[in-house]
Amino acid sequence: MKEFAIINTRLPKVDAWAKATGDARYTDDLSMPNMLYGALLQSPLAHARIKSIDISRAKRLPGVKDVITAKEAGLIKYGVSPARYDETVFCDQKVRYIGDEIAAVAAIDLETALEAVSLIEVEYEELPILLDPFEAMKEGVIAIHDEFPNNICAEVHQEFGNVEEAFKECDYIRTDKFVNKKQDGAFIEPQSCIAFYDLNGNLTLTTSTQTVHYVQRTVAMVLGLPVGKVRVTKPCVGGGFGPKASANTIELASSILSMRTGRPVKMTFTREQVFQHSRARHQFWHELTTGVKKDGSLIALKNTCHMDGGAYSSFGIATVYYGGSLLGAPYKLPNMKYDGYRMYTNKPANGAQRGHGGVVARAAWEQQLDVIAEELGMDPLEMRLKNMMKRGDTTCNDFNMSSFGMEECLEAIRDGSGWKKKKGKLPKGKGIGVACGFFVSGAGFPIYRSETFHSTAMIKLSEDGGTINLYTAAADIGQGSDTILTMMAAEAIGVRYEDVRVLSGDTDFGVDLGAYSSRQTLMSGHAVKQAGEDVRDQVLEVLSRNFKIPVEDMDIKKGLIIFKKKKPDFSVLRSTYIKEHRGWVDPPVGDELTFKEAARVAYFEKGVVVGRGSYKPGDLGGKYKGAAVGTSPAYGCSAQVVEVTVDMETGKVTIDDMTDAHDCGFAINPTNIEGQMQGSLSMGVGEALFEEIKFDDKGRVVNPTLGEYRIPTALDMPNVNTIIIESNEPNGPWGAKEVGEGAIMPTIPAILNAIYDATGVRVRELPVTSERLFTLMKEQEKK
Amino acid sequence: MHLLPKFDFYEAYDMGEACKVLAEMKSEGKIIAGGTDIMVNMKKGLLSPKCLISLARIPGLSGIEPTSGGIAIGSNLIVSKLLEFDLIRKKYNLLSKAASVLGSPLIRNRATIGGNIVTARPAADLPPPLMAMGARVVLKSKGKERELALDDFLVGPGQTKIKSTEILVSIIVDEPPPFTGGDYIKLMHRNALEIAIVAVAVQITLDGPDGSIKNARVILSSVAPKAIHAVSAEKVLIGEKPTEKLFKKAAALASTDCTPITDIRGGAQYRCAMVETLTHRALSAALRQIKGK
Ligand SMILES: Cc1cc2nc3c(=O)[nH]c(=O)nc-3n(C[C@H](O)[C@H](O)[C@H](O)COP(=O)(O)OP(=O)(O)OC[C@H]3O[C@@H](n4cnc5c(N)ncnc54)[C@H](O)[C@@H]3O)c2cc1C
Repeated sequence: MKEFAIINTRLPKVDAWAKATGDARYTDDLSMPNMLYGALLQSPLAHARIKSIDISRAKRLPGVKDVITAKEAGLIKYGVSPARYDETVFCDQKVRYIGDEIAAVAAIDLETALEAVSLIEVEYEELPILLDPFEAMKEGVIAIHDEFPNNICAEVHQEFGNVEEAFKECDYIRTDKFVNKKQDGAFIEPQSCIAFYDLNGNLTLTTSTQTVHYVQRTVAMVLGLPVGKVRVTKPCVGGGFGPKASANTIELASSILSMRTGRPVKMTFTREQVFQHSRARHQFWHELTTGVKKDGSLIALKNTCHMDGGAYSSFGIATVYYGGSLLGAPYKLPNMKYDGYRMYTNKPANGAQRGHGGVVARAAWEQQLDVIAEELGMDPLEMRLKNMMKRGDTTCNDFNMSSFGMEECLEAIRDGSGWKKKKGKLPKGKGIGVACGFFVSGAGFPIYRSETFHSTAMIKLSEDGGTINLYTAAADIGQGSDTILTMMAAEAIGVRYEDVRVLSGDTDFGVDLGAYSSRQTLMSGHAVKQAGEDVRDQVLEVLSRNFKIPVEDMDIKKGLIIFKKKKPDFSVLRSTYIKEHRGWVDPPVGDELTFKEAARVAYFEKGVVVGRGSYKPGDLGGKYKGAAVGTSPAYGCSAQVVEVTVDMETGKVTIDDMTDAHDCGFAINPTNIEGQMQGSLSMGVGEALFEEIKFDDKGRVVNPTLGEYRIPTALDMPNVNTIIIESNEPNGPWGAKEVGEGAIMPTIPAILNAIYDATGVRVRELPVTSERLFTLMKEQEKK
Repeated sequence: MHLLPKFDFYEAYDMGEACKVLAEMKSEGKIIAGGTDIMVNMKKGLLSPKCLISLARIPGLSGIEPTSGGIAIGSNLIVSKLLEFDLIRKKYNLLSKAASVLGSPLIRNRATIGGNIVTARPAADLPPPLMAMGARVVLKSKGKERELALDDFLVGPGQTKIKSTEILVSIIVDEPPPFTGGDYIKLMHRNALEIAIVAVAVQITLDGPDGSIKNARVILSSVAPKAIHAVSAEKVLIGEKPTEKLFKKAAALASTDCTPITDIRGGAQYRCAMVETLTHRALSAALRQIKGK
């Protein structure tokens, strides 16, 4: 194996000190001179016609600088997929969920802004409320959006192979249903932004986002500004998980308010507003029919899915595709049919969340496979191994597994968990379960159809040669992309980690589609690697001319120039450098020529030394409708074994142990990989056992707090045995691919399968609260 | 958006001063201890006292003093101390057990025992074990002092017998007699930061090492507007030999002693079933403790 100086090591994160000491600055920590505070008026009704809005009293309140409604903000439609732009900044004719935005106020302080909001008078005419997507689909009910009379926001029908024919060849076929609950991203930092429109007509929007690029485009479009006049930048972001991957109302409203007042405007969501804005995991109802041969080979899958979309589309068009396409792997499956429906309802809009569209389908199917294995008398782990795809295989829906360490993952967790000793041998109340999963390493296309690069990177050397500035628009939202991109830049050039300074998350620094669909390590990584190699080549070429040494005879390692043959005399160069920097603290020393000196030479020749990199995936196959959702340059995969204890008298589940293996292609920083694995598992535990947004019959979220919407605490997580598998992805930089989302895939079904092993009860509705499991166990007893 | 309403803040330096200021404020003043309840309620707009009077600087309110037959716990003692003091952990272990599952370390470092009692949440963690131990509360106002059984002090959700001029100064707990054991079990969705789905506190005393049950208190929490005694369970236990059969019977009776509601934390039927399970477990644990197992 190749030796690396920087990558594939456990260097600390670039922001570790700032985060550990509390010095890291998030958007709401920032302020600007003369800044105003904004607040939103939101609908108290889930479905109503707006008859009138009176802002006069609010405007008269001392301290109020501006009040805007749809009249002032305009009615340009925006959203995530251009095919479904169905939102305006403010509601015009209608409100569609509790929390739908009607107006915004900017005032000298938050108290005044909130008071002004309470002075806005809106007259409503109440409309029937649709909270159940199956109700919403019925003939004759009211349309939430006039353009969609039957409230079906999107539907997908796909068939690969021939499922009905294939079922005829099957020895065993079964159908199961499964349902989850609407989730919240539950990131710790609520959305927050500061917009400032200056006298030259430039808008700077500082915001807590995953995707500066998409926000820039949306803001420019909705405000009617040239894209070049809109700069979107993010400071530290406290998590996103999907809901921050598109523009939100406060970003648009604060920008409009700043344009109108000429002053910076800050707006921050409360936790309740985070729940109302939502855009997190949908509620899915899956019905799966799977057919197999006696020997356990998977032959066909029929998947029908209904999704509660909420009031707007958000990422839902992609979600409804992912709900089907992500069952195409990791098993060899020749026939697959999918019918997906996403309905509008009068609830907060659902969107993308870690494992976009695939998590619930995966939970449903991996549990069903367990049932099938049992019916066939096979070990569920061995049945999975038997059906597993291999490197180079292509799924029936055209996903190419250019690398695929799935077998290694399964073997690693089997051996790492003691599966063989435990499976079938644990006492009642204790159980062990297994499941697999996979995920894309970046979407093959941007969310809008375009030939754009997905990532660009620029590396600029300082004139003294000592600092390497890496510019990228990639978004570090806590997952550590700043760290791994810094490591990649240092590795590509051959310098030390601490010599590279990363500047990221800013549309001024380039184009990057951002932190979603697990794309940055692979895509931003490619661009950074290329930019680093460009810098390295430029510096070596200059040296080559100066010393008359061929480039091939030189190398850069750990910030030093390696001359493979004869070392030239660089004493003049060094004394010049030292003379030029007299009084500086860090003169070059030692027997070797430093990169700093070499870069200085390049500077003398070129003026500016800039390395450039850009990446977009090539042609990824799949010509059918919807092929763009799911095709990716690479796929990460994972397998997990979970052990649980169930309190048979209360139904309470305790997760005792988790063994997780993930194939990330190549670990740029193993500690970061493990962090993503642990975080994914913890999120999966929450969704499996606790998390559920609850509504009353008026459509109000009744638990919009992190007290009653439960994410796991440290006491709910066992220690996780994390095993990294490296399969050397040919389409990834140094062989790297995703870990951010794929790792969540097996968690929920592995827990469900372990619960079954412990109790003999199959749970087909999430979350598995102690009450739900207790009730099911009682029902089972009666049978 | 919840913003804290404006209020005055008064830091009293002794009990006399605190009582005086409270009396002068009529019902416009409120005591603040750790603030983990009152600040939340003020932000929600449920309360807007003109003045908050802090107990933080008053000496002698945050300790544990021996009394003739037991201890007096200062009302301003923070919950995490109940876990630290050896005396509590060894002799009054139900109380430290309840303290260990209250909120999170952050909350426990601010929340006080007095605040937990006066705030009178139906699911508060400290009243059940204190009631199981027969605790009494001492209330002071300008020139007056009275003592009340905790059973009588708590009235309903957010309601107690405290007058607007009174301050809770201490909680008196008798030392458990010989052959006494107890337990507190809280059923939670996750393992921290939880309001109980159901909680049960039990204390039983035998009349000899292998004797009959002389005294029994079974307290159910989160199943009624306040923590309540499982009256028929207590009755059936007293005077009997502690057997598995008896505990089963008492547990079943306990579940008929309460009338829980269905709310976002759990259904009524489940809660009743859990009262039975937890009561049985708590009684068994109490007996094990007596037997030194
Ligand atoms: C995140 C979170 C988690 C929580 N988890 C739990 C939990 O698991 N279990 C639980 O039981 N509680 C929990 N609580 C509630 C709260 O922390 C406790 O009730 C705590 O003990 C209250 O004490 P305090 O000192 O903070 O009271 P404060 O908020 O200061 O006061 C509460 C009330 O008591 C009055 N008061 C306080 N001291 C006196 C006194 N000496 N004399 C007269 N009146 C007084 C105040 O005027 C006020 O009305 C939680 C709260 C939060 C915010």
